[in-house]
Amino acid sequence: MHAIERYVRPGSLEEAAEILRAGNVTVLAGGTDLMPQTHAGRVKFQSVLMNVRRVPELRGIEEHGGVVRIGALVTITELRESALVRERLNVLWQACDHFASDQIRNAATLGGNVCNASPAGDTLVPLLALEARTVLASKPNGSLETRRIPLDKFFSGPGRTLKKPSELLAAIEVPLPPQGFVGEFYKHGTRPGLDISAISIAVGAQLKGKVLNEVRIAFGAVAPTPIRAPRAEAVLEGREADAATLEAAAQAALGEIHPISDVRASDWYRRELVRNMLKRVISHVGQL
Amino acid sequence: MGDIGSSLIGKRIPKLDAPDKASGKTRYIHDLEAPGALHAKILRSTEVHARIVWIDTAAAKRLPGVHAVITAADVPWQRPIGVAKDHLPLKTDRVRSLRDEVAAVAADTEEIAEEALKLIKVHYEPLPVLTTTDEALAPGAPQLHEGHANNVAMTFDYAQGDVAQGEAQSDVVIEDVFRLHYVTHCCMGVSGVIAEFDPGGSLLLYSNTQVPFLHKREFAEMLGIDPGRIRIIQPPIGGGFGSKLDVYPFEPIAIFLARITGRPVKLLFTREEEFLASPTRQPVVLKLRSGCKKDGTLTFRTVETVHDNGAYTSWGATTPFVMMQTVSSLYRVPHCKYHTAAVYTNNPYAGSFRGYGNLQATFAVEAHMDKLAEAVGMDLLAFRLKNAQEPGEVTPQGMHFKTCGFKQCLTTAAERSDFVAKQAANRARWRDANPVKRGIGIASMLHVGGGAKIYPSDGCGTILKVDDFAHVTLITGASEIGQGSETVLAQLVCEELGLPLSAVSVVNNDTDITPWDVGVHASRTTFIAGNSAIGAARKAKAKILAAAAAKAGVPVETLSLSQGFVFSENKKLFELGKFLRGLHFSDRAELVMTTFYYEPPSKHQDKQFKGDVSAAYAWATQACEVEVDTLTGIVRLLKVTGAHDVGRVLNRLGIEGQIEGGMVMGMGYALTENLVVENCTVKNPNFRDYKLVTAPEMPEMDISFIETMDGEGPQGAKGVGEAPAICMAAAIANAIYNATGTRIYALPFTPENVYRALHGAAQAPAWGKAA
Repeated sequence: MHAIERYVRPGSLEEAAEILRAGNVTVLAGGTDLMPQTHAGRVKFQSVLMNVRRVPELRGIEEHGGVVRIGALVTITELRESALVRERLNVLWQACDHFASDQIRNAATLGGNVCNASPAGDTLVPLLALEARTVLASKPNGSLETRRIPLDKFFSGPGRTLKKPSELLAAIEVPLPPQGFVGEFYKHGTRPGLDISAISIAVGAQLKGKVLNEVRIAFGAVAPTPIRAPRAEAVLEGREADAATLEAAAQAALGEIHPISDVRASDWYRRELVRNMLKRVISHVGQL
Repeated sequence: MGDIGSSLIGKRIPKLDAPDKASGKTRYIHDLEAPGALHAKILRSTEVHARIVWIDTAAAKRLPGVHAVITAADVPWQRPIGVAKDHLPLKTDRVRSLRDEVAAVAADTEEIAEEALKLIKVHYEPLPVLTTTDEALAPGAPQLHEGHANNVAMTFDYAQGDVAQGEAQSDVVIEDVFRLHYVTHCCMGVSGVIAEFDPGGSLLLYSNTQVPFLHKREFAEMLGIDPGRIRIIQPPIGGGFGSKLDVYPFEPIAIFLARITGRPVKLLFTREEEFLASPTRQPVVLKLRSGCKKDGTLTFRTVETVHDNGAYTSWGATTPFVMMQTVSSLYRVPHCKYHTAAVYTNNPYAGSFRGYGNLQATFAVEAHMDKLAEAVGMDLLAFRLKNAQEPGEVTPQGMHFKTCGFKQCLTTAAERSDFVAKQAANRARWRDANPVKRGIGIASMLHVGGGAKIYPSDGCGTILKVDDFAHVTLITGASEIGQGSETVLAQLVCEELGLPLSAVSVVNNDTDITPWDVGVHASRTTFIAGNSAIGAARKAKAKILAAAAAKAGVPVETLSLSQGFVFSENKKLFELGKFLRGLHFSDRAELVMTTFYYEPPSKHQDKQFKGDVSAAYAWATQACEVEVDTLTGIVRLLKVTGAHDVGRVLNRLGIEGQIEGGMVMGMGYALTENLVVENCTVKNPNFRDYKLVTAPEMPEMDISFIETMDGEGPQGAKGVGEAPAICMAAAIANAIYNATGTRIYALPFTPENVYRALHGAAQAPAWGKAA
């Protein structure tokens, strides 16, 4: 049996990093993924359970010099209630609005959603489209160090990331998108809420008239990790979203995804959804 | 008499148990603690079909806190259970499905019991697996049960007229195959039981069963004891919907453990177990051939079905009883032929579920009503009205529709939903550019509404006590499973005795106290237990009025009960409590305590399945409006317009709740719920992947009551419990066709299934091997 031998509750990032360095730590934040996963036996508790909820450095949403820093402990509800997120990172805000239920949103943290690294993770797809990066903290040689990894390099497989066991995700940094940047998040589930995405799409672009610039497209649940779709972006860049362009973008996207069949959808249906819904979402964005 | 003061009939009466449930005070079986109780867990098979070579329980028995680890070898006296007695609670030498019970543990805590399960070693020798009925029917297929050489568990055949003649008279003949899927009840309260023996060997069982008196007998046979030594108490039940009509292995297993340990034993399912080891609705492949004349007169219907029975036989196999009624008698059809084979496979087994086969039969029949109407160029409503049953009809199957509001249901639902105009408008938009389409569909249903005489008696007993404060205790055999029967029964008694609702308590959950009742099924409780309660109340009233007449020296005909008084014409004669005290405490003391047993005037069916099986029949029409996104396959149910022949509304709030709940259950069956069974394995045993309908999906509901005042019903009422779930899927299927021009023959209408059908990528249901 994997029993928890010690429960720790660090009061600072330094302290948390110190505990991580010693090893055999399970990190607990909101617990909305960890608890069901350990209950189902998919994740085993390490001997130390570290509750990071009292670490003040992991909180807050702030903008400095064109970068929005979102602390790893910020809950989905806090994101949803943030004017900054709603106004400047609207595509992320939309994903938070579609995220699970009120109870889950109140507990679930952005950092937890990122570290859980689900291919279907709702916030990951808009964060990819917003070109976010992770801020990882560790204390390898007695002093606190941080490194940054762009989100599109961060995920290495379903449930896997480049974060080392000795590192703690401290924050997500999102460069402010250019003025006039608009976006849309689409999540396909079988019901309006409380559902895991069969596919999800985030599209962002800067509109000049009807011409799309700075096009960014990301998908969830169609590959082992959430992904960007650079070839589909390239098709759209500098163009209007007319029918031929939409079709070409959709075809490009189909070459970039690798969906599987599971209890929620077949690979065939996921591809159909990507084609149909990417066109629908882009045409919405093109008219914003 | 008794019409002084206001009647409660038809009013909006909150359910008597609502305050407790809303405030969290209700103590379900989960909340009950028997002092000294052990906690039990069941080890289930990890193989779909296998021979059990050996079971090693030694390590589990050594775990501290474990009091008993049992296998079939420890209970050689166990007996087969279930509808066909083909099912041992603990399996001996063979498992036939993944839910199969191999061993069980009783321990100090649930956690210890769980740990002990992990220490039990079972060696299996896998056997060939029958994943489909086709495989089970194939020549040379392994035989799952002795005495069933071709794996056919049961067959049902019904015929009226001559279908060949009917077909010869037809101008249009169509044939289709329909496929109906697995769903399960999803009771919010998971299954559970507490078993306790007293030192003398009598059994006390806290059970969620819907049929306590029938179970008493089954358990007595199993234990080899007198049924009189078994007492069943039902705590408030967290949902039934038909799931609790059979004996399931967990109940005898808890009883075995209690007997072996001499301690009370509590066994509760986990939610995952509830999905894996509960009965399902009967999955069916159904072939329907029907015809009509140019003028729209139906000529014949031939139905063949294959029921995937699963590994054991429960009530699902017997749903043809109800299916053939819809086939033969919802509409007038002179010639009918019906055949079902229930076939053993290694899949989960099907039980009874609200509607009892009628959802499946109605789905097919109402699809053909649309298709035949279209084929002869008739309006969908007019075609149905032409063939709809009318009051007074005795159908070839022997059902006598003494009251029948079917045509009113049809016209009311159609008018209130603007069905005819919307149908035409929607069809006109089939080819326009908008990928989001609208559709409206209509379907109707016939179901028993006055009990169903399938046991020797379809009756219910009542004991009614009026105490010396004029408080009434209504002791009824009928169980409350959330359907609101307590409230309706109390209302009916109040109506007879002229008392307010607060003057009645209902006792309905203890076989040592309550008189016999066949159980909660077949939408029968309001009708049967209601008539029984009325009978007892009338006897009490007669007794009181006779005594009052004697005391006052007036003719009894001038007396009535109202507002808690004995009235003489319009004058208050005696305050009822005071009068009763006088009666009790006199020299010739009299208690006002009466009994009544109501047996409905229905008949058993004969061997050809003919006979007037219910004392009344319920009707309903539902019109469903949908929006179909053809680019995703998502179907949104926007509005349901239902018209229900309920005989008479007794509790308006209660009946609205029953109908709304039933509509949503039928909606879930059609659109979202799907127990995914692949290779005999349930793939989604949780509420994340098994999608119940949630609040934002609720459609607008417009419900009309057609009050036909049934002469046999309590205050004119008919049963309504199952009715609202029955024709939803059929109406939604017709609505999807109206929206898109695509008819889908297989449930459920989940987005991917609908998308596949709309884009020609669906596999149409195929008629496999017939048996």
